[in-house]
Amino acid sequence: MREQVKQALDQSTTRFITALTRLLPGLVVLIVALLISVILAWILAIIVRRLLVSIRFDQRLVGWGFPSTAEWSPMKSPSVLVSRFVAALVVLTGLLIGVSAFDAELTSLLVRSVFAYVPNILGALLVLLAGIIIARFLARSVLIGAVNMNFQYGRLLSVGVKWLVLVLAVAMALEHLRIASGIVELAFGILFGGIVLALSLAVALNAKELVAKSLERETTKTTTERIEDPLRHL
Amino acid sequence: MEGDFIPQQSLEKIEQIDAADLVVGILANLDHESVATVHEALRTLHGDLRIVILLGDASSVPAQAGSPSSGNGPQLTFVSWPPIGADTSGTPMQSISAAYLSLFAAGRRLGAQAGCIIASKLESVPPQWVCELVQPVLETGFDLAVPHYVRRKFEGLLNVSIISPLIRCLYGKRIQNPLGPDLGFSRALFEMVSGSDGNAHRIHPLASLAPVAICDNLRVCQVHVGPRILPPTDWTNTSSLLVQALGPVFLAMERNAACWQKTRGSIPVSGFGEPLTASHETATVDVNRLLNSFQLGNRDLQDIWGLVLPPATLLELRKLTRLTPEQFEMPDELWARIVYDFALAHRLRTINREHLLRSMTPLYLGWAAGYAKEMEAADEVAVERRLERLSNAYEVSKPYLVSRWRWPDRFNP
Repeated sequence: MREQVKQALDQSTTRFITALTRLLPGLVVLIVALLISVILAWILAIIVRRLLVSIRFDQRLVGWGFPSTAEWSPMKSPSVLVSRFVAALVVLTGLLIGVSAFDAELTSLLVRSVFAYVPNILGALLVLLAGIIIARFLARSVLIGAVNMNFQYGRLLSVGVKWLVLVLAVAMALEHLRIASGIVELAFGILFGGIVLALSLAVALNAKELVAKSLERETTKTTTERIEDPLRHL
Repeated sequence: MEGDFIPQQSLEKIEQIDAADLVVGILANLDHESVATVHEALRTLHGDLRIVILLGDASSVPAQAGSPSSGNGPQLTFVSWPPIGADTSGTPMQSISAAYLSLFAAGRRLGAQAGCIIASKLESVPPQWVCELVQPVLETGFDLAVPHYVRRKFEGLLNVSIISPLIRCLYGKRIQNPLGPDLGFSRALFEMVSGSDGNAHRIHPLASLAPVAICDNLRVCQVHVGPRILPPTDWTNTSSLLVQALGPVFLAMERNAACWQKTRGSIPVSGFGEPLTASHETATVDVNRLLNSFQLGNRDLQDIWGLVLPPATLLELRKLTRLTPEQFEMPDELWARIVYDFALAHRLRTINREHLLRSMTPLYLGWAAGYAKEMEAADEVAVERRLERLSNAYEVSKPYLVSRWRWPDRFNP
């Protein structure tokens, strides 16, 4: 009986040690990969931050229409935010490489699926970034154009256009990420329709004012002599 | 390459002409009578000049005018030149710039000693202008002859409020119309602007001519050429006008920064012709409309102006919005600093350049409102005094521009 227990214990210990020795190289590789990726991330973060500071990225970002980006970052600097994002990406890549070194079927599958999803994430990020840039640009164009045309609701129009493009960009990004595409489509339809309706109302309200002014001018024109504007600009 | 600016159908005709002393470009489409008048006016020039006239529509040229004249006096040749004609596809400034480049190319090919462009319609411009603009260049050795039109107090506001005082303060020469558009220029100048070393100026030759001439120590003069009738104001297009006119001026400012930062004060340039006076005008301007635009801009464009203007200027603008139309007046120093800040933002590309210049429209209309209100009953002398005061304000504020230009981050009052 004692012999049998001892044998069973020996076998368990052997299995445990065998499993441990099989796992140890993977663990070492994981630690090494993590260490290398942390060092790489640290170096890369410094390079990226210096590069961004040298091209006055923070100021340029404000010029490109992102005046509130400083609020996103705890250090109140978009350059730091970007450099930390790059560092995190490198560490994450190192971690995934390290995990794949375990040579276990499950981890390989996990890593493969994560890596397969990376293009979707990058694509979604690109779509989102392009959407934000286009939204800001269009919002500014609409605002300046509306003010120069004496539209009283120019700000409302501008915000409407911005959100229209942003909602479209977010919907496209989520579609790219394959997240609840049915709900996203439905929500997008409702939101897009709502914004268009709000904009139509804004334009209609403004148009009402314009039509009233125009009619007033026409009425005045019939009763009094039209005075020609003497101003000439160039 | 100069060939790029010469249309194919005109190239053959140009190649048939051996050489020319003077190249004249007329942008306006002329009728037979006007062409004949120009023809006669150019004949009054001294010497056996070979003159080539580039016309948008040469079909209006009388048969006898097309052939070189015999005997003494200038020889005139008309050439059809499509880029010189009225271009409906592009903007007016672009069309004029294209015409200038085209004329430079023709001048270089023909080895002309001088060139001249008449961009204003001849109904309002006497034909002898052509001669008056080229005579200082051909006979007195000047390199650039700019027009000095009879000043009408409500005309050319963009020029009197920004372009003219800015060029005066930057380059130190008192020129009434640095952008012409009717100008006479020497071979040296157009070679400088259109030559291989002046590629940068090719983009906007009209805005580059005066700065290049002054910075390269060429001789500049003004010619009193009488009244000019401007087209009616298109209020829906004021912001486009700002983009077209100020963009090239600010670009030229950027390119010549090394030159204008050394210049202090300003001096008058030589004048030709008899100064004429405008009749006293008593026109009424709808100031409220201009003020409404200014108020609306102040309400809605704060975010954009905040990127361009320093806090002190924004505060002063906010104070202005609280004034009644009767009290409203934009101080000259404030206006000069605003123009400088926009020029700096244009250089730094703080925001998209077109957005930047369009967002300046309400500020410009605000200045115009104050000016129009003040000058409503003013005579010519009072207008001249007022504009002189404005130009002086630009000169007084120049150290502000130089400081901001050199240290945009550090100097931000």
